[in-house]
Amino acid sequence: MPLSPFRLIARHQWHTLLRERAVWLLLGLVLLVAAYAAAAGWTTYRQQQATQVHYQQQARRDWLSNPDKHPHRMAHYGHFAFRPRAPLSLFDGGMDRFLGNAIFLEAHRQNPVNFSEAGFSTGLLRFGDLSLALLLQVLLPLLLFFLGAGTVAADRENGTLRLLLTQGVSWPQLLLGKAAGLLAVGLLLGVPLLALTGGLWLAAQGGAPSLDEVLRFGLLTLFYGLYLALCCGVAVLVSAASRTARTALVGLIGGWLLLTMVLPRAAQALGSYVYALPSKTAFQTAIQADISRQGDSHNPDDPHYQALRDSVLRAHGVATTDQLPFNYGGYVMAEGEKISAGIYTRHYRRLLDTFRQQNQFARSVAFLDPYLALKNLSMALAGTDFLAYTRFQQQAEAYRYALAQQMNQLQIEHIPNRKRPPTEKDHTIDRAYWQRVPEFRYQAPTVQQVLRAEWVSVAAFGFWGLLLLGLGRRAATRLTAL
Amino acid sequence: MLILLFQSFLRATGVRLGLGFLLAAGLISLLVGRQFLDRQQRHRHEVGAAQQAELRQLAQFHAKEMGLMLYYAQFGLVNETPPLAGLSIGQRDVNPAVQRVTIRGLEAQKYDADLHNPTNLLLGNLDFSFVLVYLFPLLIIAFTYSAVSEERENGTWRLVAVQSRYLPGFLTQLFAVRLAVVLAVLAALLLLAVPVLGLPLDASLGLFAGTAVGYVLVWFGICFWVASLGKASGTNAMLLVTAWLGLLLVVPAAVNQYLLVRYPLPEALATTVRQRKGYHEKWDLPQAPTVARFFAHYPQFRHFPLPATSFNWLWYYAMQQMGDDESAPQAGELRRKLYQREAASRQLALLLPSLHAQLGLNDLARSGLGNQVRFLDETSRFHEQLRLYFYPRIFGEQPVAAEPWDRHRVQVFTDRAPLRPAGLLLPPLLLALLLAGLGWRNFRRHLYQL
Repeated sequence: MPLSPFRLIARHQWHTLLRERAVWLLLGLVLLVAAYAAAAGWTTYRQQQATQVHYQQQARRDWLSNPDKHPHRMAHYGHFAFRPRAPLSLFDGGMDRFLGNAIFLEAHRQNPVNFSEAGFSTGLLRFGDLSLALLLQVLLPLLLFFLGAGTVAADRENGTLRLLLTQGVSWPQLLLGKAAGLLAVGLLLGVPLLALTGGLWLAAQGGAPSLDEVLRFGLLTLFYGLYLALCCGVAVLVSAASRTARTALVGLIGGWLLLTMVLPRAAQALGSYVYALPSKTAFQTAIQADISRQGDSHNPDDPHYQALRDSVLRAHGVATTDQLPFNYGGYVMAEGEKISAGIYTRHYRRLLDTFRQQNQFARSVAFLDPYLALKNLSMALAGTDFLAYTRFQQQAEAYRYALAQQMNQLQIEHIPNRKRPPTEKDHTIDRAYWQRVPEFRYQAPTVQQVLRAEWVSVAAFGFWGLLLLGLGRRAATRLTAL
Repeated sequence: MLILLFQSFLRATGVRLGLGFLLAAGLISLLVGRQFLDRQQRHRHEVGAAQQAELRQLAQFHAKEMGLMLYYAQFGLVNETPPLAGLSIGQRDVNPAVQRVTIRGLEAQKYDADLHNPTNLLLGNLDFSFVLVYLFPLLIIAFTYSAVSEERENGTWRLVAVQSRYLPGFLTQLFAVRLAVVLAVLAALLLLAVPVLGLPLDASLGLFAGTAVGYVLVWFGICFWVASLGKASGTNAMLLVTAWLGLLLVVPAAVNQYLLVRYPLPEALATTVRQRKGYHEKWDLPQAPTVARFFAHYPQFRHFPLPATSFNWLWYYAMQQMGDDESAPQAGELRRKLYQREAASRQLALLLPSLHAQLGLNDLARSGLGNQVRFLDETSRFHEQLRLYFYPRIFGEQPVAAEPWDRHRVQVFTDRAPLRPAGLLLPPLLLALLLAGLGWRNFRRHLYQL
């Protein structure tokens, strides 16, 4: 059975490209870099994981080893939450380096998540993160552009294009065949990289991966495959529209540069210019002002707490707080925690909204720049994006609040109202209560939640696919052999 | 002849497009820098105002107890942002430029992160150093990759070779014209930066410009050397873009990855966990031994008697002090490792012009890790001063109202670490000369091959 022209052309393209020794050299070079990235990534992953588990356990041991105490002392002793690394962060580090790794959770105070890798890095960090994702997102497309610039234009230059077309090959067959041949070469590199990712990912699971994890990995593979196909299509179309291979190459490299290097930064800069952030001081001052307005438990003359005391005294029919059947100090602190946490959460949400607006701005630029669509989707599926981070912060705050209120409740129930004279030790409760506080466990968002948050990127992917098809169709009717 | 070369070079649309693009990117970068400096300035004012207001309010709330007042009172230290940081923002967007500390345990406060959108940090700043380090080389590549090979490919090289009186001179002029145009763009942007960012005309700015010129020269050296290999234009482009990728994407990221593996920082978490334990466990121990250890650290306060109450401020601040004292080994190790990272990246940068330029510009703009570590050191000093000042006032139960709180203004840290002109300027110059020499040798061999 004779091969169809499409398959013939694809096969010919594949052989032509792989005949070049330079191509093999480049492929080898990229694989070498990939091996280094995987090895270094794995080592850091293991190191960080080990450190984190070690200190998580130590912090827990410290917590449990506390003797009998006043519960409010334990509320201040507090707890740590360490941000765990997602298995797929081995593939795409995303924002990981810029995110804090540990947060101290105590009563009355919302601490920042501290100790990001970026805070301890030299300016080198800004050159990017050497990950398998970088190779697939940035380097492989460029390689495909290098290889694809000549696919049609070179044939035009040496006159074979005319021969091909006069022999009955149609433009669609030609373009698709060239693109398929190019994609096959791309996959020669893409498949090993994704296989390497799969290996690392499985090794990081320490057991069978969950359905959610499998879906994440499957979707990553799908989107990267689509992106590579998109790049091949673009390369062949540009080549077909160019008079010489050189103009095609210049155009493709220029486009690559603009889309991967310049536009993402410019978009984010513009986004953060349009939606300005408050400074940390302004943020904290605003929270403090709201707390003072609504009721500051640290202010002895605060009207809110005076009214509260009067109403409690009236309800129980007693004259002083010492006569109440429960610990009044604990009661006031529970109220204070409720007010301050509510105000903090309100301000924090507003801050998050500003972040989201900034990000959404850059995300929408994906309709101009498919690279951004892939980058955002990849990070999101790898669990190293903004969503995963805010989840961690919110869960840590929820844990902090529950911890503080649990200690307040213990105080309300078990600590007598009448204070001991200043020369005696304070009241305490049994240390067995410390066991009742659960450990902090981070729950990653599910794939559905991730996709919902990234719908713009998915839509941008669809848009680019359709656009390419449309352009291909138009090109097939308009292109000439000359 | 030279004028003709200029004209023919500048007439090409590609060249004009490239120049326009670079100038536009440069202008945007200056605006980004201006915006950054404005933001820093605004924050600094906000901190000053907030500190005054808060101290006044706290002094009212806690008028009876100095110890309680200082439990809450925060004192600010600002890491001064020189205008040059507008050109090279470096790590300044990651690390907070303001520290606000209470006199309680320092290790629990020192590393507090700033409010920022991690997406902004990830994508990076479009500052001048980005334009210089990433985009200038591309323009240089675009201008020179076919400077000689194209003449050979079009067949005009024979004409030039026959008609030129001195072929090496023509070759030099070919590159000199391109170098002059690129340096003119660089000069224009830097000159414009002076009024836009309010740069003082000082040694730092001179060195900044020198480092930038050195970096441009290195790239001209690389392009000259590649041109001297006598390959086709397409091959030249491929080689140069690969070099660009290597120097700007792959190798720096690999080096950074290596530094992370080589100097991991478990000490960061160790310090914070140890500090919590060191302080909190003292609540369950008798007061006397803790206070004795405090007096061993600060013998000058020995004369303050320990009150017989179950809670007192002397004991409280002694406990806080123990959190810092007991986590000092871990904190010291952390600091040492940060300096090691900084030193190691500096050494590796000697071999890699892209790293050398970026780190050098950050050093000059006081926006690198070195500046951050020095700011942390200064924070420790600042905090220690606060303690030494307030401890006797707390233990001596000085009335809150007697303290002139308005005089406790936000302090400013100005980084005056010495600059090393030779280290900044020599490596790129030597590398550029080496490349030019090697290229010259190649050219001499086949300059007259037609």
